[in-house]
Amino acid sequence: MSVGKQEIPASARFARWLLEWAVRHWPEETRPWGLALAAEIDETASAFETVRWSLGGIMLFARSVLSGAWAWMKLPAGGSLPAASGPQGPSLLPKRSRVFTVVILATAALLLFLPVGREAIRTVRASWQGFQESPSDQRTLEELAARAEKEKDAGTLAFVALSTTDPKRAAALTERAISLDPKLIWVYGARNHRPDFDPPREEWLTRLKAVDPGNAVPDLLMASALADPRVDMLYAHGTPKDADFEVLADSQWKLLMERAYGAPRYDSYFLKHYQLTRTVWNRERNLPPTFIFSGLWSHAIPDLRNLMSFAKFKMYQARKARAAGDLQRAESLIGEVDVFALRMADGSGTKIEKLIALAISESANKRLADLFATSARQQDARRVALRLDEIERSIKGMRPRGDPGGRSGGQLAFRREAMLLQGFGILAVLAGLAALASVLLLEMWPGRMRNAQTRWRSALCWMADCAPATLLVAIGAFLMSFLPFQHAFAEYRASSYMLLNDERLMGAMWGLMEIPEYVMGVHARVSIWAFATIALAALLVFVLVRSIYRTRRAASKPA
Amino acid sequence: MGLRIRLSRQTLAVLDALLSRPGQWLHGYSLSQSTGIPSGTLYPILMRLEKLHWLETRWEETRTPGRPPRHLYRLAGTAREWAREEIRAAQERRFWKSSENEA
Repeated sequence: MSVGKQEIPASARFARWLLEWAVRHWPEETRPWGLALAAEIDETASAFETVRWSLGGIMLFARSVLSGAWAWMKLPAGGSLPAASGPQGPSLLPKRSRVFTVVILATAALLLFLPVGREAIRTVRASWQGFQESPSDQRTLEELAARAEKEKDAGTLAFVALSTTDPKRAAALTERAISLDPKLIWVYGARNHRPDFDPPREEWLTRLKAVDPGNAVPDLLMASALADPRVDMLYAHGTPKDADFEVLADSQWKLLMERAYGAPRYDSYFLKHYQLTRTVWNRERNLPPTFIFSGLWSHAIPDLRNLMSFAKFKMYQARKARAAGDLQRAESLIGEVDVFALRMADGSGTKIEKLIALAISESANKRLADLFATSARQQDARRVALRLDEIERSIKGMRPRGDPGGRSGGQLAFRREAMLLQGFGILAVLAGLAALASVLLLEMWPGRMRNAQTRWRSALCWMADCAPATLLVAIGAFLMSFLPFQHAFAEYRASSYMLLNDERLMGAMWGLMEIPEYVMGVHARVSIWAFATIALAALLVFVLVRSIYRTRRAASKPA
Repeated sequence: MGLRIRLSRQTLAVLDALLSRPGQWLHGYSLSQSTGIPSGTLYPILMRLEKLHWLETRWEETRTPGRPPRHLYRLAGTAREWAREEIRAAQERRFWKSSENEA
């Protein structure tokens, strides 16, 4: 007994339609079985039976599709099932099956999808952008700021303010962060503002000074902003003489510098900036290192020329006092410079500040040594000589050793790793492109590829066979060579030993930028021409060797 | 020539149903009804048996107007003996019981 069409309920009608659809799309190899199953549906005794029969048919259809797909996957790229291409199939195909290629490519993708893979990609991509924030980085920062605003997270807002390249946004976020947590007032003085790395705003520094009156840094930053044009003029024609600094004597700049020299403390807030960065990076592990690099890199520190100018001005005053016979005043003036330099060296959070402080102290102590030598104060002269030795040792200890390029120890330590990482990254990209191109060409234009010249077909098959495996190996090596960088980042996030880890982190990032700078920076033209020359030379050698080989082979053949 | 295979309980049930009317052509739906096996399981068994040359298939010649032709199945001559042996062996192992025996 069968179900008449008029009385067929909607469920059974849908089941019939579904089975008809499946038969229309049934794989060619098992299509007769689909037709056989579908032909029986008219025999079903009830709507329930119809639905049950149809569902069985759909299962068989799914099974046929899957087994067809599996059979197709077992063929190499460009290969077709016999029903589609005839029994012979294409004449030249890759050796590896589609399954092999897919497994290899999926494994490679999986490796890149692991946390270490994602971090490696983010880092290397950022290095090719010169650790400059891209529009997507800006979006990430905005998302972070929006979340922080929602959660009233003043620390993260301050971090975004210190990291964003948009000065208006930075200003708004700085104000918002400080209004939420007044302890973050140091953010006012923690950042030079791009694009020209201008010192922090004067009104911000005034507010900061009011809260932190014992700190020399707000005054120094204000003085930097004030004296910039005149200091620039002084240095326009080489290193100025001490007397040239006289022009700066009666100025607001001098008052600020005097106040800074008299302040009991030196703190450029780098440690606070570092700790804030570390806290946010620990919480937001997916942040690209660009923010960390650019944020810390744009941290405001007092201007070297400004500091040196005032030290020279003071020492010129001392020389004038000495010429006037007032040795005590001369010693006191030079002593003020040395005391400030020592305070700065003790309180500085960055290596560059320490070096500046030591250079000022060295300069002051040399003047003192001269003063004591001429005034027959042998004991004081010996004390100053010892102090000079100590300064010299400290400076030598901080200078990069054995590198004429002036790279830091951290940068040198990461140089080899950076070369490997970038090298394997480039190899992975090339292998990925080759795999994609060869597989797509074979799959999408099998007919055209079949008719191509044998050498092109061979090259394509060779690429389809080797490129995926090369990609996997390159990605594995890429991740392995990223491990030292990941370790440096983790060390930075985890530790509180500021200077050492900061240097290692910066070293790691500078190291990574070497190849991108060579390829895309000022050396780009040289690199392109060097590459073109090497490639053409290699091609020439290949052509020559081949022609010699062919000539010899032709000569050795019997006539 | 057909191949000997390891048979599942459902396959044995299908063989049993085919053996119950040896030489007679049967439809898929009637096989499903007599064995209680749903279409999604029955047809893969039939496909497998056909691939192993145990099963003969053909399309119905007399067509009902408005309906597609139906597929017919019966065990191949040699396969009938193998099927009986398999069923006997399965019954001896108590792996499978025919519905007739159960009744």
